[in-house]
Amino acid sequence: MKIVVAYKWASNPQDATVGAQGTVDWSRAKPGFSEYDPVAAELARRLADATGGEVIGLTVGTKRVDATLARKAALSRGFDRAVIVADDSLEGAGSTQLAAVLAAAVRHIGDVDLVITGDSSVDVGSKMVPTVLAGQLGWPAVAEVISITGQAGALRVERAVPTGTQVLEITGPVVLAASTDAAVARVPGMKDILAAGKKPVESLDLAALDIPAAAGTTTVTGTSRPDLLTRKGQMIDASDPAAAAAELVAALRGAGAL
Amino acid sequence: MTEAAEPDFDVIVIGAGIAGAITAYQLATQGRSVVLIERGEAPGAKNLSGGVLYCRGMQEVFPDFLTEAPVERRITRNYINFLNADSSIGIDYKDTRLSDPVNAVTVLRAKLDPWLAEKCEEAGVFLMPGVRVDKVLTEDGPTGKRVVGVKAGDDELRAHVVVAADGVNSFISQEVGLRTKEPLNHLAIGVKCVVNLPRETIEARFSVTGDEGAAFAIVGDCTQGIGGGGFMYTNTESISVGVVLRLDDLTAKNKSTTDILDYFLAHPFIAPYLEGGEVVEYGCHLVAEGGLAMLGEISMDGLVVVGDAAGLTLNTGLTVRGMDLAVASGVAAAKGIGAALDSKDTSKVGLAGYREALFASYAGKDMETYAKAPAFLETERMYKEYGELIGNVLYGVFNLDNSPREHLLKVAMKAFKKSPVKIKHLIKDGLAGVRAL
Ligand SMILES: Cc1cc2nc3c(=O)[nH]c(=O)nc-3n(C[C@H](O)[C@H](O)[C@H](O)COP(=O)(O)OP(=O)(O)OC[C@H]3O[C@@H](n4cnc5c(N)ncnc54)[C@H](O)[C@@H]3O)c2cc1C
Repeated sequence: MKIVVAYKWASNPQDATVGAQGTVDWSRAKPGFSEYDPVAAELARRLADATGGEVIGLTVGTKRVDATLARKAALSRGFDRAVIVADDSLEGAGSTQLAAVLAAAVRHIGDVDLVITGDSSVDVGSKMVPTVLAGQLGWPAVAEVISITGQAGALRVERAVPTGTQVLEITGPVVLAASTDAAVARVPGMKDILAAGKKPVESLDLAALDIPAAAGTTTVTGTSRPDLLTRKGQMIDASDPAAAAAELVAALRGAGAL
Repeated sequence: MTEAAEPDFDVIVIGAGIAGAITAYQLATQGRSVVLIERGEAPGAKNLSGGVLYCRGMQEVFPDFLTEAPVERRITRNYINFLNADSSIGIDYKDTRLSDPVNAVTVLRAKLDPWLAEKCEEAGVFLMPGVRVDKVLTEDGPTGKRVVGVKAGDDELRAHVVVAADGVNSFISQEVGLRTKEPLNHLAIGVKCVVNLPRETIEARFSVTGDEGAAFAIVGDCTQGIGGGGFMYTNTESISVGVVLRLDDLTAKNKSTTDILDYFLAHPFIAPYLEGGEVVEYGCHLVAEGGLAMLGEISMDGLVVVGDAAGLTLNTGLTVRGMDLAVASGVAAAKGIGAALDSKDTSKVGLAGYREALFASYAGKDMETYAKAPAFLETERMYKEYGELIGNVLYGVFNLDNSPREHLLKVAMKAFKKSPVKIKHLIKDGLAGVRAL
């Protein structure tokens, strides 16, 4: 079985700051293996070990995703090899464009049975990439996946739905987005990182990929902070507890909360 | 000396701070196989420093350091400030000679450390971030315990030599018994923040231009009388500002570091420099202050200790120096380790070249020069009474309140009589200061 894990080398919002206008300053944010992607890598490794398959890490982004540090961080997560599309023209690329490039890379790799992604990226978090990628490939997509078993062409996938869980049988290739807690990912050890330094990496030229032209373009023209809830700031004197409780109940009734 | 298993690397360096990175870089350029292990997800992620780097040593390692590395500003203005609650006395030392050749620059570790790590990788070092070394592996050798590798999680790596570059309070060197837990008076705590301000604002407020910068050393009310001092350094578009507080004094006086930093930042003589700025980084870190007394054994069979881990920090009262000493120890260690590897003797005896090279360098010499500084800086009066005394003398001179003027000496004697500082203190501290600094 040939499994591709689409991962993102993403800026960690922990060090990003939001300006008064709602603009986000990412300049201090450090890039890393996106928060939920280790879960995808773990599911892939387990499935490959159970079926004797191969796991290929795939990422798309600016040049920084191809730095030695980024390569090793990814390859220490249990991939057998990596395929990387790094091109600075992808700076600020949206989910649709990234998914289109990912799809082209998946086609380039060829004979892929399954693509697994994380739940969402830590920097953008649109949750769109897996579905757009599936759409580009003409494959089905399943999100909130909690377990994957079976064989290529006969996968048994369990996913979380609001009412509980669902079990799916999938016959063809598919894109699966792992739920954030589908597995506890192992932390790469020294031997994993050493081995990562020796694993093969294929860098693909963006221009040489077969990416269908988009029908239109999307441009961000403005951003704003979410509206802050305005609070009433009403204080209740609690020196007489019984009276305070009555006043609180009355105030909540008045506001329609009770 | 025979070693059991075939090692994975010639050298394992623990900690990708300045000392570790320089050691690893120098060894890789000698053609050794080196792994540099860092617990932070990326080098620099965990490091904090006030940020004036005396850069000559660094330039010996990287001749193009000033143009290539992420340096912020070249320090041409040094300002020494005695701060009292309601007065401030300063010595403003500007010197164009300080910029040609450049002697000190401000750096931000969040940028410098990744740059150093990149240089290491280019030189062939295997960088291993996100790994915390849990312990060193030892074996019993003919001359006692010998370090043969490291362990992290379930994994072990072996090398001919392990370098402990794990910073102040190095638990690696404590674990192997090279150091004991530091006494409190060898340690200080530094609290620092980085405040963003536009370039032009910084240049106007600190009266510097271009890539020139200012370094303020502040004693007195900035630490509310606790042994230590404050600093304020200009970066390109931010200011590094903070206090370094002696741990024993802080504990004895039962004060909190954040309260002291807040008080300092809001001080009427400091706040105007920072006004309108935005705090973008905040952190605290231990600083080694023991001086030469803290520098103990720095090598044993199969292991050397460099940088802060070796106690290589100098607090001269006006400057905290650690980064340049980290560089010097890295260079010296790489020299000693190289010789040991060549002679196939990586025992303590074989590694003796490190200590020799260190003491022959500016770092070792300066550690000897300032050997008495820590004790001198423990003098209480430094942090309180002296600043007030000078303040009162100057007040007497400049406060023209229509009373007849008196000669400076008289004013001084009056202020002196009111001050708890006695002549014998002045003489004693003066002499001690001259000898120590
Ligand atoms: C507030 C403050 C202000 C200062 N101001 C100045 C100044 O203006 N000028 C100056 O020259 N010096 C200054 N210093 C001192 C200077 O920061 C240090 O001397 C210098 O950082 C020492 O470098 P180092 O490489 O030895 O240690 P560090 O920079 O502390 O690096 C140690 C590294 O080891 C890593 N590490 C630790 N344990 C492990 C482990 N078990 N496994 C893996 N990795 C590990 C750490 O994450 C870290 O990256 C200041 C210090 C402070 C706290």
